[in-house]
Amino acid sequence: MNQRLIVLVSLLACGLLPLTAASKKKEARKARKAQMEAVSKARNAQMEAANLRTELKRMGPLPAIGNAPLPPMNKQLRLSAAQLATAAAEIDRHVRNGLTKAKQEPNPPANDEVFVRRIYLDAAGRIPTSEETEKFLNDRRSDKRARLIDQLLLSGGYRSHQFNWFADMLRFKSGIKRANFGLYQRWLKDGILTNRGWDRTVYGLLTAEGSLASNGASGYLLRDTGMPLDSLSNTLTLFLGANVSCAQCHDHPLADWTQREFYEMAAFFGAADVSSRDPRKVGNKIKDQHLSKQDVMHAVAQNMYRVKTGPKNLLKFPEDYAYDDAKPGSRVDPKLVAWEEGERKGDAYDVDLGRPKNYRDSFAKWMTHPENPRFAANIANRLWQRMFGIAVKEPIEDLDDLDAASNPALLRHLASVVVSQEFDLREFQRIVFNTRAYQAAANSTPAIGDIDEYLFPGPVLRRMTAEQAWDSILTLGFGSVIDGYQTDFSHQTTRFAFDYDNSSEAAVRQRTMALKQAGYLNASKKRLGENDLVDKRRVPQRFGRSYVLRASELPQPAREDHFLRMFGQSSRDLADDGSREGNIPQTLMLMNGDFQSLLTGDDSRLMRAASQTRNKNTVVEVLYQAFFSRAPTSSEQQTIRRAMTKGTTREELAWTLFNTPEFLFIQ
Amino acid sequence: MNNRRKFLEQAAWSAFGVTVLSGCGDPKKTDSVADATSESAETPATGKDGFGSAKRIIFINVKGGMSHIDTFDPKKGNGPGDILSTKADFQVTNYLEKTARIADQISLIRSMTAKVGVHGPAQYFMRTAFTERNTIKHPNLGAWAQHFLGPSHDTLPSSACINQGPRYGNGFFAPAFSPIPILDPQTGLENIKSKSRPVELKRNLDLASQLSAGFLEKFQDSNVSAYRDFYDQTMRMLRSKDLDAFDLSKEDKQTRERYGDSRFGQGCLLARRLVETGIRFVEVTSDGWDMHKDLKGEMDDICPPFDHAYAALIADLKERGLLDTTLVVLATEFGRKPKYEGDGRGHYPLCFTVGLAGAGVKRGFVYGGSDAAGAEAEQPVTVGDFHATIGWAAGLPIDKEAVTSSGRPFKIGGNKAKPILEMFS
Repeated sequence: MNQRLIVLVSLLACGLLPLTAASKKKEARKARKAQMEAVSKARNAQMEAANLRTELKRMGPLPAIGNAPLPPMNKQLRLSAAQLATAAAEIDRHVRNGLTKAKQEPNPPANDEVFVRRIYLDAAGRIPTSEETEKFLNDRRSDKRARLIDQLLLSGGYRSHQFNWFADMLRFKSGIKRANFGLYQRWLKDGILTNRGWDRTVYGLLTAEGSLASNGASGYLLRDTGMPLDSLSNTLTLFLGANVSCAQCHDHPLADWTQREFYEMAAFFGAADVSSRDPRKVGNKIKDQHLSKQDVMHAVAQNMYRVKTGPKNLLKFPEDYAYDDAKPGSRVDPKLVAWEEGERKGDAYDVDLGRPKNYRDSFAKWMTHPENPRFAANIANRLWQRMFGIAVKEPIEDLDDLDAASNPALLRHLASVVVSQEFDLREFQRIVFNTRAYQAAANSTPAIGDIDEYLFPGPVLRRMTAEQAWDSILTLGFGSVIDGYQTDFSHQTTRFAFDYDNSSEAAVRQRTMALKQAGYLNASKKRLGENDLVDKRRVPQRFGRSYVLRASELPQPAREDHFLRMFGQSSRDLADDGSREGNIPQTLMLMNGDFQSLLTGDDSRLMRAASQTRNKNTVVEVLYQAFFSRAPTSSEQQTIRRAMTKGTTREELAWTLFNTPEFLFIQ
Repeated sequence: MNNRRKFLEQAAWSAFGVTVLSGCGDPKKTDSVADATSESAETPATGKDGFGSAKRIIFINVKGGMSHIDTFDPKKGNGPGDILSTKADFQVTNYLEKTARIADQISLIRSMTAKVGVHGPAQYFMRTAFTERNTIKHPNLGAWAQHFLGPSHDTLPSSACINQGPRYGNGFFAPAFSPIPILDPQTGLENIKSKSRPVELKRNLDLASQLSAGFLEKFQDSNVSAYRDFYDQTMRMLRSKDLDAFDLSKEDKQTRERYGDSRFGQGCLLARRLVETGIRFVEVTSDGWDMHKDLKGEMDDICPPFDHAYAALIADLKERGLLDTTLVVLATEFGRKPKYEGDGRGHYPLCFTVGLAGAGVKRGFVYGGSDAAGAEAEQPVTVGDFHATIGWAAGLPIDKEAVTSSGRPFKIGGNKAKPILEMFS
């Protein structure tokens, strides 16, 4: 004992550590552990490297930069000429009934000059060229109107015009912050080209899964990322005409919607993750000496914006829920709304409410079902408003009470036509364009209080939409060739596609590096690039800060100071927000805007046509044909001849005709 | 007035600005909305000081929902800012460092309350005091003032809006009551240079007028006549000796810098020029306040230039002796949630803050307040009350109804609106 103590003390005195048997053991264990750790670290590193390789392999090579080829246009019209005439007559019968009840007469038919301008604007989104007008006026066939309607519905103009309508309705933007909606735009445009049914379109939008870079249809839900309740409110209003925006926060003061019902509908999206995620955070985490934060954000953003369905319904009643019918903070079970007793027994309501991952699919099936009580009526009402200037039920956002329509039987019939045509919007428009009601002379706009009593003796006089005005000016300057210039921005997002959610940080870094080295991150959005064009050989000419491109092909929405915006193109913040009202800046633009040179410059198609003759009367005829699709009256001829004798030039005459209301309004 | 008569009257009137307007002093000429005096006719306390002291109004529209807690209604320990004391009866956060120095010139209402929590409808509500409907569009206060008081200038429009389009401005009043938009204050009015000489321009407009006759006879349409009215107004404006009011380059460098080089700052300077020239109602928008994420980062970006410009505007108006007759309104569509959601705040209409300054308004005063959390309004003020207060300051008969062409009666701020007279000294 003592001896050992002495040894120990002496050892300590020598400055050596006391090595007991126990501590030796510990030491050995430590060494073994370190060795094992080193081995396992090496193995982990190996595995990581292997995993990374697998991951990168799974990611595959970088997608080629470019756009997928366009699908062929679907040129199949449904109805034969005879069926078409019957369908149109049936609508006319309902319109006539409404008029008769109110002791009103239909308007006389519009003449061919009025009709040709109207149908070009309504079906193809622009005025006809002089040649197109002439061709129609000189056509002696009795069915020439029906033929022209078909021709226009199968033209590039229809695609463009229909897209503008969707864009206004769906608040389409080319980009929001870092999200790029190029592939979504492509999905919408392809749907018009292939004439995808409205039911399939809406079903596709509501059930889309995936990212902006991988699935265009996801753009609809991702438009409202982080705002699921606003998104639902818009969805119900746009596709069903359900006036619910108040029920989002409290029971609707007027309609029958309760806040509970609103939440029960929202529960259908309770398993869908559409949350907003911040690419900046990823950028900060991954950036290093080779990759900037911007590089990383650029590479991941299009993949981070994504819709992903989970297994659970996460929707809860809000903590400040104020009604007795549910507990604040409790989970919300999905339930479909109904407008009338008995509707729930219909086929539309027979959907799976069992598994949350199927909720969205069930909701979309119910919504787009032919027997959904509002889906068909809503789109019929909206299209009718577009063609006549006034809807059968105004306002279009509130279709809760079908009987409040100016002509409820007409509205119900139009809904049944949409269903019988299997939600083919082109065919529906084809039928309506062929009605006497549509082809009648136009009325002046009723006073605002009388709008919901308008019974459609004919369409009403409308100012062109901003898009129609812009496209018409291009038509004057360049002719129908403008229909052929098409853009496609989908390559700006598809090039980034990879499975971000299941990728490790290392893999994301590698991917970003590869994208950077391959030059994928350099794309400039400032100017139109070669890849932005569908046909690389057709390069539109620049004009000021814009291009000679139809509104549907320009960035969405156009810049605030662009002609389109001045004339009321929607800022795309609110649904259906395009405006047709005038204002002083618009007038200034009509009088002094840069684009005047498109009309009166030497290159202008209009001026070239007008300068082919020295005969003043012919000049006037040429200009009238181009601007108004009609010949001048003799008194107009006289007035102009007098003015020209006093020095009015052709250019000034063009300016003058452009600045009369007859140009901007659709009769 | 029936359509035919209205048409004839307007047709007899100058078309396309060829003839100089004779009736521009009479608002009824372009305004088919009639007045009716309701039962409780008397405007409250019209004799009281403050009524009608606002000869002009600058309406600052803070768009996106300004977080009251992070600006004018600070709550200790909530939010990224520190609390600053001021010479006024209220504190602000240090995001409003410059405003704090002029706080004794402005007053607050800290108990605004509303129900609309969606931007579009809430913006509409704050600018018109009516819920957005699809059957009718409601006017902003500039159009109301023009309706009751007539045009404020003989050649320029009576209302303008800066940094934002003219949406909904005129409401159910004639489109001519729509504010003139200046989308970018640096550029001012666009397309004011005609390519032809005045004599040619007049000749061409004459010709356009003659060639439109047939169309106008065929369609006696309100939208078409509205277009004609815009040509009239446009020509008057182009010939105005006061057109320079829209041109910021007429200000010296020092003044321009004083307001800061932000779009909102230059917008405030332009607003000052416009009201100085006689445009009665000018709305200036400050954008970017929808701070759901990274509130601190967003506040750091958005608030300093706002603070700078707002303080400069108040100080500049005061130095020029204009503050006593100019009402500077600070409005936003809603506040933001007291509780953080992630690193930002959601929309919160139940309690938020607005400001009033100048034109007989008390200085450094606070009306109402919020509870300790900033969640509940004490002495609540509705958006209708707020509009009635502004209308009262502008000397408008707030108890008087305007009856629209469809026969619907409307009052400024709605039927239940009461002006907050405690705001005035």
